Amino acid sequence: MSSRINIALVGLGGQGIITLANLLAKTFRSQGQEVCFNEVHGLSQRGGSVQSLLAVNENTCPVFALEDTHYLIGLEKLETLRFLYASKAKPVIIMGNRYEIRNTVYLDLENFPEEEEIDAEIRKFAKELYIFNSVEYEKQIEIKIKPTNIAIFGALTDFDELGLDPKLAKKIIRKHFAKNPLAQSFNLTAFKEGKQWLKKQ
Amino acid sequence: MSDSETITKKKKLIIGNHAVVQGLLQAHVGVTAAYPGTPSTEIQTKLYQLHKKGQIFFEFAINEKVAFELSAAASMSGVRSAVIMKHVGLNVASDPMMAFAYFGTLGGMLLVVVDDPGCLSSQNEQDSRFWGKFAHLPIFEPATNQEIIDMIKVAYEVSEKYNQLCILRLTNFTSLNTSEVEYIPIEEKLPHKGEFLRDVNYQIPARYILHKNVHAKLEQIRVDSQFNALNRIMQPKGEPQSQDKLIITHGAIYPVVAYLNEYYKLNLPILKISAIHPLNEEQILSAIKPYKYLYFVEELESYLETEFLAMIGKNKTDHLVFGKKELEVPQENRLVAEFLAIPFEHIKGDPTDPETFVKKIKSTLPFAPILTQKELIIPRTLPRLCDGCPHRGAFYVIKKATNYDDIIPSDIGCYALGQVPPVQVGDFWLCMGGGIGTALGFSVTTDKHVVAVIGDGTFFHAGIPPLLDAVLHKRKLTVAILNNYLTSMTGGQPTASSPERIAPEQEQIDIEQVVRGLGVKWVKSVSVDNIKDNIKIFKEALAYEGPSVVIFTGTCVIDIFRNQDILEQGKKKVYIDQDKCTGCGTCLYEFSCPSIVKYDGKFVINQNSCIACNLCINVCPVNAIVLKTGGESK
Repeated sequence: MSSRINIALVGLGGQGIITLANLLAKTFRSQGQEVCFNEVHGLSQRGGSVQSLLAVNENTCPVFALEDTHYLIGLEKLETLRFLYASKAKPVIIMGNRYEIRNTVYLDLENFPEEEEIDAEIRKFAKELYIFNSVEYEKQIEIKIKPTNIAIFGALTDFDELGLDPKLAKKIIRKHFAKNPLAQSFNLTAFKEGKQWLKKQ
Repeated sequence: MSDSETITKKKKLIIGNHAVVQGLLQAHVGVTAAYPGTPSTEIQTKLYQLHKKGQIFFEFAINEKVAFELSAAASMSGVRSAVIMKHVGLNVASDPMMAFAYFGTLGGMLLVVVDDPGCLSSQNEQDSRFWGKFAHLPIFEPATNQEIIDMIKVAYEVSEKYNQLCILRLTNFTSLNTSEVEYIPIEEKLPHKGEFLRDVNYQIPARYILHKNVHAKLEQIRVDSQFNALNRIMQPKGEPQSQDKLIITHGAIYPVVAYLNEYYKLNLPILKISAIHPLNEEQILSAIKPYKYLYFVEELESYLETEFLAMIGKNKTDHLVFGKKELEVPQENRLVAEFLAIPFEHIKGDPTDPETFVKKIKSTLPFAPILTQKELIIPRTLPRLCDGCPHRGAFYVIKKATNYDDIIPSDIGCYALGQVPPVQVGDFWLCMGGGIGTALGFSVTTDKHVVAVIGDGTFFHAGIPPLLDAVLHKRKLTVAILNNYLTSMTGGQPTASSPERIAPEQEQIDIEQVVRGLGVKWVKSVSVDNIKDNIKIFKEALAYEGPSVVIFTGTCVIDIFRNQDILEQGKKKVYIDQDKCTGCGTCLYEFSCPSIVKYDGKFVINQNSCIACNLCINVCPVNAIVLKTGGESK
């Protein structure tokens, strides 16, 4: 039996964290591996913190000691750092480079750190750091709902240690969006093009 | 979340909430009812889908009490039934539940309750295990999705063997955990017709006799072998750290305890209690007999610890017990791995050395801290109303029409987020319908304007009686009903005001008619986008000497996203004309849609998140915010 792989997915409500966890899990499952994941979202109407813990080669307990996170997939910088501070983990980090500063900052209700400070902190925790250029990627997507989560899913198939089969993953995406052919086609495109937006730091 | 499917038919990845549905189908349940409540919502939406396909009877009832009563009647007609709710929903349904426990069931009946440790989507956290003891009902608490399915079948058997309602208790850990189960695709239509046998004799007074019978029933269940078989000692594979230590925990948190037990290399046996109530003293005593030291790891309250201590004390057994206090297991919040690091450090330590328990010990476990210098301060990511949420339009109006010291009790729903800065409308929250109820009180104790904020679903659920009270006693208060045609906080389930497009099987209830029917004389229905007129109308409502109601209507963003072409959304654009903008900041500082931001000193609209709801257009005092259909804009 292979030992468990602990993956944490973090981001903001509306970014597609749970969908990404779901598609990853289905892919691992269809490859014959045991898998489970949870979802923590609560009052995360678009914009609140969302977290999902996913464990591969494990079928009952998606929760793990956060210090033992092997992969951290972050769709937003501040949420990524929040997880790292809370966990004190040293994972392989795959992060979209969005930084959402909320409008509370203009009302002097909250302070947001400078982006460079956050970048520097994240680097300290990373075993390896891969940045997905969400900012540029999303600029060239015409529609309002950006399939960045699926593009990152595509990029994850390049990680040999995760062992994701891109063919099976595509099949899972096709099935997941079967009811909406339009969503299906642009998500498949996102999956295919994802890799080119990811760079190792 | 959509249906999770995998390639093989037999095994399937499903979320815990869908495992409940699978269990109900396997148990051939005929009637189901619920009121939406996270973390139990996916059970309900799945049943609703199956209902629409004609497979099972399901109803989104007006509230949990009504849902319970409907299911109880099904049981009394000999039909297997289930009622589903979150923990606070059970408070609402507790009135019929307490009485129904005396009657007993005919068709098996299951009450599924999902607790929310950590209050991730609730006004409080409750340990529903106590309801079983309080109401004299058996409680089942599964640990995994497979156990959910299997235990539901046992629960219906127990329910029918003893004619008693059973409770299936889940938490947000079990209900939102997606994992693999043995899945049986069930397509057959489950019948919901039965027969009501009139038997009024047992309903006459002297009901204390029924109370006696309930206790007698409980004693039978206590020794039921099928029920007790759910409590087991789980032995990890590795070499145990000690032969004398036993960890005792309950179903919902067992997977985390088992994982940490191995992760910290303790490999101690774990007594997993899934048949929570009633506990069998003989079984428990024989299970703990071989061990000297007992460690209780429980989420929320010390339920098992108290029960076990009574047995240990009564039988004067020779055990050393380490509970919540000694192990420093938090009494609040979800028990994630981080919160159990110190408790496991205590379990690992020498139980005979008092030093193990007297001081807070530091985790020595695997990874040393990476940072030595001070960490950055990260602002909390507070939940907020969606970009384009119609409630924001109503809140802006309420803010403009009221004075700073007016009192605004709010209610349970998305609009509770009006409290969060920068919107900041809402002063007090209690429970479903509690906004209007407390407004009544504030109108008695103060001379301020009192404004109760409530949504459509919550108004139907529990807002009608207090509004009737306001009419009856001529209270001076204003109720703002925020109608968005959906139960939105839980992801958009139909309410009584949903249009035919959303809930074709339902009658559409007109809120204004209901309000007038209650005897409210001052009622106005307005559309959220007429912001300037609405401020005037709201001021009139506040001036009225009696109960007044303003019904704000606007479509929920969830509905817009579900029902509009996603490509169409990109074509409409709202932007700020920089030549006209005077930089007054009303749009950002007072209206505060998340899509309005300041960039290079200018107020602009973030086109990535704006959904062109047009509300801010009506807020701008100089008409600098413009809608453009098609073409480019910045």
